[in-house]
Amino acid sequence: MANINWRTINIDALEAESSYNFDLSTLTPAVQPVSTADVQALSGQIRQLSRGGDNEGALRGALENAPFGADEQGKSIHLSVVTEILQNIRQAEMTPILQRMYQSENGSEVCDTLMKYLYKGMAQGAPSANATTNATNARNVTPQATGFTQAGGRNFGGGEGGGQAMSVLLSWHEKLVEMVGPGSIVRVMSDRRTV
Amino acid sequence: MSQSLRPYLHCVRSTLTAALSLSDFASQASERHNVPEIEARSSPEVILNPLTVSRNQEERVLVEPSVNSVRVSIRIKQADEIEHILVHKFDRFLTQRAEAFFILRRKSVPGYDISFLITNFHTEEMLKHKLVDFIIQFMEEVDKEISEMKLFLNARARFVAESFLTPFD
Repeated sequence: MANINWRTINIDALEAESSYNFDLSTLTPAVQPVSTADVQALSGQIRQLSRGGDNEGALRGALENAPFGADEQGKSIHLSVVTEILQNIRQAEMTPILQRMYQSENGSEVCDTLMKYLYKGMAQGAPSANATTNATNARNVTPQATGFTQAGGRNFGGGEGGGQAMSVLLSWHEKLVEMVGPGSIVRVMSDRRTV
Repeated sequence: MSQSLRPYLHCVRSTLTAALSLSDFASQASERHNVPEIEARSSPEVILNPLTVSRNQEERVLVEPSVNSVRVSIRIKQADEIEHILVHKFDRFLTQRAEAFFILRRKSVPGYDISFLITNFHTEEMLKHKLVDFIIQFMEEVDKEISEMKLFLNARARFVAESFLTPFD
């Protein structure tokens, strides 16, 4: 105990009653847990639908059965399915599909789920994930110290990677916001049921 | 404006517009304090889901909303090491003058080049859509600025090298 700096101890964390220890699970709506195997089976069905040419049905199915209760692995499987379908749909078809989805029953909710997947798709490959590749990517390391000690650690080249996938998501986002408005984005921020 | 920049900025604009709905919220941890919750992180229930908008692997914007503050972090495009150094110098110049910018954060979030912290006091005394416009304009300008600086740097380096080597001609 003697060599712990007591000034750095967060005393709020030690108190059960403090707002720091607020139980977030009380805010989360009840979602039934979904196993990874179930998500995998579902993604197989959706891919089959997409392969048959019914991209709209596949997208609807994927968004209506979003696995809110799955673990990280299950969620990433479902995310890859959704982004795959989104990339399969051509630019001209986006607006009519969105319109039909929005006007159907539960359309607003489906559109919110789509918005969640768009943001999640864009959050893929965040800098924290790149940090591990920096060390192994010896090709781009400066041969000598540049003197910029604070400006270190960045790999160059290949930065344009994923630009194609992102531009698809961005154009989906633009079309979706045009239709449902910024309220959908607010619901993505405040909804505790993450995808 | 390039073809892929427009949807990117459009997306950032609508995300910021949605995120900038802030209200006054006093600290729950200590009386008579009013701190940006996204920085203090003293009450988890008022922190909302962070959103990322990205153009490609290297250019992205992270928006971290909470009940009374929003943190916006921008990762600026850097194609090579000269641009990397230029961006670093540019950021340092701005962050050292952070008081004059009101919403600029003194230190950027790890993984990003520049961060803004907008609190409900900022949205009360400034126009919200102007704040959004400012960030969008900043993002437009900074790319232009960096590539311009790189051109100037190269031109100056060439001139210096030429005049240095003339006596040996």
